[in-house]
Amino acid sequence: MSFASEYKPSPKAEAFLASVDNAKYDRQIITGLQKFFDGKIPDDMRALYSSGELQALREVSGTFNDVEARMPVKVTRHYFEQAKNSVPLQTLIKASPAETMDLDGAPDPGRQMDYSPVEGLIHKYEMGLIYVASTCSAHCRFCYREELIAKKEVTRPDGTIAPKGLAQIGDIVAYIEKHNDIVSANGGRHPETGREQLREILMSGGDPMVLSNSNIAAWLSALAEAGIEQIRIGTKELAFFPDRFDATFFDMLDNFHVAYPGVKLRMMVHFNHPDEFLQKDVHGRYIDNIEGGLTWLENTGRAVTNLGKREWLTIDNQAPIIKGINNDPDALRIMQRELRRNRVENHYFFCGRDIVGHKAFNVPIEEAWRVLNESQKGLSGVEGHARLSITHYKGKTEVVAVTSDPLKGVPGGEHGVIIFKLLRSAKDAPLKGKVAIAGRNPNAIWFSGYTDRVIFDELGLFDEYIELELKARESHKTAAVA
Amino acid sequence: MTFVVGENCIRCKHTDCVAVCPVNCFYEGQNFLAIHPDECIDCALCVPVCPEKAIYSEDKVPEDQLAFVELNRELSAQWRPILKKKSAMEDAQRWSGVPEKLQYLER
Repeated sequence: MSFASEYKPSPKAEAFLASVDNAKYDRQIITGLQKFFDGKIPDDMRALYSSGELQALREVSGTFNDVEARMPVKVTRHYFEQAKNSVPLQTLIKASPAETMDLDGAPDPGRQMDYSPVEGLIHKYEMGLIYVASTCSAHCRFCYREELIAKKEVTRPDGTIAPKGLAQIGDIVAYIEKHNDIVSANGGRHPETGREQLREILMSGGDPMVLSNSNIAAWLSALAEAGIEQIRIGTKELAFFPDRFDATFFDMLDNFHVAYPGVKLRMMVHFNHPDEFLQKDVHGRYIDNIEGGLTWLENTGRAVTNLGKREWLTIDNQAPIIKGINNDPDALRIMQRELRRNRVENHYFFCGRDIVGHKAFNVPIEEAWRVLNESQKGLSGVEGHARLSITHYKGKTEVVAVTSDPLKGVPGGEHGVIIFKLLRSAKDAPLKGKVAIAGRNPNAIWFSGYTDRVIFDELGLFDEYIELELKARESHKTAAVA
Repeated sequence: MTFVVGENCIRCKHTDCVAVCPVNCFYEGQNFLAIHPDECIDCALCVPVCPEKAIYSEDKVPEDQLAFVELNRELSAQWRPILKKKSAMEDAQRWSGVPEKLQYLER
């Protein structure tokens, strides 16, 4: 692949890139449902969908409720093999007409286009995010980047409508260098945003690990040369195709480290459920490892061990809590414990965003908090670091606590309260740490479920949802009168 | 699944597709490019950039070009990978949109 022809790697980068070897991978991906409809799949994979399920999917195919149009369907052989014995994993990977029964949701969740100064770049917080691929080896049905994966038309702030595009190396490097020059020239803070140097970039998409070693290396060296100090790689490939983490990949990483020893890598991985990485016996139980902990799938364990050996590389897990997959305290407890034992930090769990179709996936916010809280009972302090986060337009918001006892003398607090705190705030994070409190709503799956019971809101977290409700009520009134 | 290069590529071979492919799964013949079906990751980035609209998803290959599914597999196994975009063939314009070019395919 030739990248933006304007960008010329330095001699040092060229030398590193010349050292990179690529391998061929046999993911045995099945894309789409057509092959299942036609029966043109390996015999043993037929069982993934029952004939009743296929019939139901056929019925919505080509209609407004087309499941593949909302989110393309894809599965790898490796993931299928684990899913055979796991209902949670089947729920993650199997398309279902339930996904499109209610298409309510935001076309650009989190309104990311407001923070996209360059195509394929989101610069909202102090870190930058770049889209380097618009596909993954397999697709989680609940993906909150379905607008990118399905190449949906998205409206930008300037009014243009186009699918989200991928980042180009030349443009991103130019942006980073210009941004940091401006910051340097202004005593260390950007005059408009107040941000410091842009030091950290997250490679995302889609899944960067679908790219070849050369493509990944091109990004790593370009970002390093532009002065980036921490590079994150966000990937679910450890669950979908752990063999991707082969000797050629690690050789590339090691050569990168030799060339750019000051640049740290942060693997941001995505395991939703321990069935994705733990072996099970014939009764479906996890298997004790005589040396301690539980027994991992061989190739997954090897990949994580090899990542863990490299001290200049950290590994963090993040996952949403999704109905039918991991809204299960015991599964989450096991997952957090096992991951931490194996050098994977538990970073965040998420409430589902308000994506198109979110009603099929989201667990009520208060339930997600209860599940995570329960799961962390019995975990030691270092195992239980993960917080529950929900991404509001204003930033990542922690669901700090959900109480049950009545708050005496506080109107709205008769059944207890839910407390939100802003963790990440745009630009120079002026709102970080601010709190919002609302009365309980056990059915709420998004902020809009609390508009009539806000107790305290120094964030303005609920403002736009309250406004939307008022507008909706106004138009109902006029409709009723007319 | 995979994507498939169809006959519109023959004798045009613009190679715009190569510039966007994230996994280097294009293989080069004299007057045609083939996609290796096992390496293609279905990212679909090549489809809109081809000036001849020569690339199809495996499911959407036109009836009269179904032979290209196997051709892509066969030829990508024999040919060398092409990693960088180059100029289109000299007569690309003359051959653009000409039907039934399969007869001119050079193996």
